[in-house]
Amino acid sequence: MKKFALGIYVAIVVVLMVWGFYQAIYVAPDDALQGYVFRIIYYHVPSASVAFLFFAVSLLGSIGFLTWRRNRPEWAQLSDAWAVAGAEVGVVFCTVVLITGPIWARRAWGIWWTWDARLTTTLVLWLIYVSYLLLRRFAAGPQVQTLAAVLGIFGALDVPIVYMSNRWWRTQHPAPVFGGDADSGMKDPQMLAAFGWGMVSWLAWGLLILFLRYRVEREHQKNAHLEAMEALEAKI
Amino acid sequence: MDQRSILDHQFVVAAYTVTWVIQLGYLAYLGLKWRAEKRRASIDSGNKR
Repeated sequence: MKKFALGIYVAIVVVLMVWGFYQAIYVAPDDALQGYVFRIIYYHVPSASVAFLFFAVSLLGSIGFLTWRRNRPEWAQLSDAWAVAGAEVGVVFCTVVLITGPIWARRAWGIWWTWDARLTTTLVLWLIYVSYLLLRRFAAGPQVQTLAAVLGIFGALDVPIVYMSNRWWRTQHPAPVFGGDADSGMKDPQMLAAFGWGMVSWLAWGLLILFLRYRVEREHQKNAHLEAMEALEAKI
Repeated sequence: MDQRSILDHQFVVAAYTVTWVIQLGYLAYLGLKWRAEKRRASIDSGNKR
């Protein structure tokens, strides 16, 4: 039954991705200023939004782990699995943002990169979560999960700074398309629809990947626990 | 198509392709990791017997 439900969800995600692509390439009109290249927005912005959401999942998982690690170890392990899944899938989406952004920038601004507030804070966010994943991958010992949870919480503090950076400071990066001043927002309904489908489809894809990563981590935890118990029971 | 349109198209294709390479590459990595964990579980249960 679980496999059937997952299969249905995968089918929905595939349909959404195809529909989102169709809207972005064939339905949405060219931008009045930037022309055809503006279509990168339909992959770039949803990827950033999903990355922020999954870093928030990682934050909640990290808080849950620190809260329950002494009195409810099973809940703590569940929280830790969500924390690592959120961080890793968030890094994947953040990587997409950091690559599609410069491709767009090269065409729109004539440069690949500039050290402005939005770009720099996003790069710092990516570096923090990459260090989180490296810590989990290479450090050993009973304190690794606790250290990673603390790093995950501090890493998440950068998310609101990234979000607000082009509101607080004058940046090369454009003003926010949504949630900015009174003039912000997409005026063309077809553009708005393509943007909405992009958000929905990438969120659906992201949730699928997040769930799969969570399942892998739970399997890893079970195996590690089993091996630890076997080591305790082994004859000397 | 003029030169500007061709260049615009190439940049969009590059951005979309990179996105899908990263996403599908990560999905494949998850598949390999899942298989490794399943194999590890079967080895562990074999040791127990």
